[in-house]
Parts: sequence; C-alpha cells; structure tokens
Amino acid sequence: MGLLDTIRAVFGTSAEAGATRDADPEDLFGMSTAYVTMEADLGFRSVEAAALCFSGVDSTDFAETVEDVEAILGAGGEETGTEFQIRKDSHGWEWVVLRDDDPEDLVTSVHFAADEFIERGYGSRLLAAVFGFESEGDRVYWIYSFRRGAYYPFAPRRGKERNNQLEFKLQSVLDGELGVEDDESYWYPMWPDTAGGHPWE
Amino acid sequence: MEWKPDWGLRGRMVLTMFLLFALYLVFVGVLFRTNSFIFLPLMGLFVLAQFFFSDRLALYSMGAKEVSEDEYPELHATVSRLSQQADLPKPTVAVADSKVPNAFAAGRSQKKATVCVTTELLRTLDRDELDGVLAHELAHVKNRDVMVMTIASFLSTVAFMIVRMGFWFGGGRNRQGGGIIVAIVASLVVWVVSFFLIRALSRYREFAADRGGALITGQPSALASALLKIDGRMDRVPKEDLREQSEMNAFFILPVKGGAITKLFSTHPSTEKRVDRLRDLEREMETR
Repeated sequence: MGLLDTIRAVFGTSAEAGATRDADPEDLFGMSTAYVTMEADLGFRSVEAAALCFSGVDSTDFAETVEDVEAILGAGGEETGTEFQIRKDSHGWEWVVLRDDDPEDLVTSVHFAADEFIERGYGSRLLAAVFGFESEGDRVYWIYSFRRGAYYPFAPRRGKERNNQLEFKLQSVLDGELGVEDDESYWYPMWPDTAGGHPWE
Repeated sequence: MEWKPDWGLRGRMVLTMFLLFALYLVFVGVLFRTNSFIFLPLMGLFVLAQFFFSDRLALYSMGAKEVSEDEYPELHATVSRLSQQADLPKPTVAVADSKVPNAFAAGRSQKKATVCVTTELLRTLDRDELDGVLAHELAHVKNRDVMVMTIASFLSTVAFMIVRMGFWFGGGRNRQGGGIIVAIVASLVVWVVSFFLIRALSRYREFAADRGGALITGQPSALASALLKIDGRMDRVPKEDLREQSEMNAFFILPVKGGAITKLFSTHPSTEKRVDRLRDLEREMETR
C-alpha cells in the first residue's frame, strides 16, 4: 500500500478514484500480433467478432457520446466493412459489438470507439474489450481490462465453469506479447447471457 | 469523468481523525504515567483477532452464508461487474435470510472482502437499485472502511475495557495509590468523547461510500431511490428483529432504527441528507 493509497484511505476517496480513473488504450494494438500468435502457435482462429463493454452514465451528455461513437463506427465501417451494433445485456451493461473477418480491422474499430469515449471524458466508464477465438469447439477470449490496463484470458466451459488449464496455457504463451494481468483475482469472468454464446450475446 | 472533489467532507473527516488522534495521544500519556500501560498489548491482541475474524463474525451474527454462482447467478454477475468498474477483486458473495432489507460489507482487506445482502433486499429492490446498494458496499471495501474504523476505535475499546475492569476490581481496595483511579477516570472521559468522534467519522465514511458507489454505477439516483425504499420498509418490520441486528449497525447500508436515537449517536447520516447529496451528484453529472 503506497503513500497515495494511504492518503486515499484516510480521506475515504479510494472508491471515487478507482471508479473515475481514466483509461489508456494504447495497449489495445498489441492484440493485432496476438491474433497471429493465437493462430500460428495455438491453432485458435478469430471468431470474426470483438466487443467493447462499457457501463452507462445517467446523463444526456453520455447518450450523445454513444451516438457519436455510432457515427464514427458508421463512417469507419464504410471503409473497412466492419459491422457494428450497440446493445444492452441482461445485467444492464452495454456493448459495442463489432464484426469483421479481418482481425486488424476489429482491433482498429475497438480502438476508435474506445478513443471516442476517452476524448469525451468517459474513459473511466470503459470496462473491457473482448476478443474471441475458437478451435475445435473450444472458445477462448482475451479480455483487455481498461481499469487494470492489462489483458487476461477467459476460457468458459458449460455450466459457468472455467477451463483454468487452458487459461494458464494462453497466459504463458502470450505473456510478453500482451501485458497480461498477473494477479488472477482480477481475471473476472464475463459469462454470456445464453449458454454457448459470446460474452456480448 | 471529472468530478468536483467534496472538500467539505474530506475536511471534516480529517478534523475528526485529528481530534481522535490528539485524544488518544493524551490517553496513552496518562496510561504511561499511571503505569497502566500493560492493557495495551493485551487489548491489541484481542482487537487484532477481532479484525482477522471480522468477516466471519459479521456473517455469523447475521446468519448469512456464502452463496455460489449457481445459486445466485444474477447477484454474482452484478457483483463481478461492479467490482470490475471499481477496480477491486471480486469479493465473496453472501446472502442472509432476513425480513429486513439490508446489505453490508465485511472483511479486513480488499482481497478478503465479503459483500452480504438479505433476501428481503433482493425482493424489495429493482435491478438498478440493487446495483446502487452493491456499489455502495464495494465502495466501503475499496475505501478500506473496516480497517479505518478498527484503527480509529482501537484505543476507544481499550478505554472501555479499562472502565469496565475498573468497576469490577476498583471498589475500595487501592494498593497503587491514586494512579489507577486516574487511569479509570481518564478512560471514562476518553471513551465518551471518542464514542461521538467515531460515530461522526462513521457518518462521514457513509457519505464517502455513497459518493464512491454513485460514481461506480454512474447512477446516483438509483442509490437514492434504494435508500428511500429501504428506509420506508424499515419502519414496518417488527421490533425483535431490529434489536437482534443492532450490533451489526456500523456496517449496514442503513442503520436499524431503535426509537429516538439522536443524530450524534447514529452511525449513519439521515436518509434525507444522503438522498440530498446524491441528488447534488446527479445534477453535477447532468450539467458538467
């Protein structure tokens, strides 16, 4: 516990600081090469979709920001062919879902959307960027946590079980290429609403 | 998001802590002068044990038990995502079977935290309101309130124990001269004064957790409406239940009411004041 943490504990402002700290999405670009490694070394191909998860704010300005994100993705989509959709899941969290067969475009679009939130002062509302992979029926995800500024693997199995072995394998192979969260207590699961779906479905 | 920090709240919190610290400093001085210092390490061990088992004690006294993801998938998902937003490891989730709608956070550190809700709370609140309450509890965890309050009340507990022991052993016999009497009287004064300071600090920590919680969910109004709902329900539940639960008051989202408690005695600010402040936050969010 550092000095700043101690001061925040005394003031009772740690929660405030943690919830409103801004995000720095530069690390997102690391995902481009990770797509290559995932396929070449592990045989996991892109599911041709990725998503950005954010928690909304109850204000008009935020609603306008979301509209601007849509406009940006719409304009970008004309060039790259990336399709997008904004939806709310059953837990009340919102998603920008992107579909494209080129992983490079997925990463760029996620970055564009994230950047817009940050520009408008809502970087702290970004929770995660989720990139999906599959191989012979196994689905795995690399999740970039904006709060932690690090990636972690998520390998869901049926019945809300996680394939920890596979997660650790992904960690050991991709560590160094991606900044992987080394404290596993921050590897939050992101269960899909429907069994067998993606976290954003 | 950029937020105006609440300097008034911070100022009051630091002033309270400073007064407590000054009071304790004098108290320790008196203990030294009267050779009653022996109490400190003894009590230290006791409080340390309490601190380490605080989560289990809290759950036990509420009759709460840990629940798995299979039993309460919704609750787990919500806690998990709110912790993500608050940048906390996911705490243990517990549910207490109770007719009082309430929630509390326990545990000595962020990694050992438990968040508990009552079955009635789950029945009473809608999803946004539950988010608000859970975020408030996570803000307590993030702000390390269990640790802060344990440290703040350590010497107060010592003073209380000395006063109590004084009543047991002090009657008449007095081998050490007036020293022990001085220590007992000083302890009584320290205990009474620190009691009010600690209660004030507790109320400020509640305001801070309300703020933190509202910023985690981004919806101050949801917590406000949950508070109003819980407050309304509290008055209608039977008294026996209330008295049983009063020992847990300090960590509840809303204190259980026990008749005419004056403002100075309460661990929580009035719902009215909390709702007012949440409305201010809501306004700030809309007009920034």
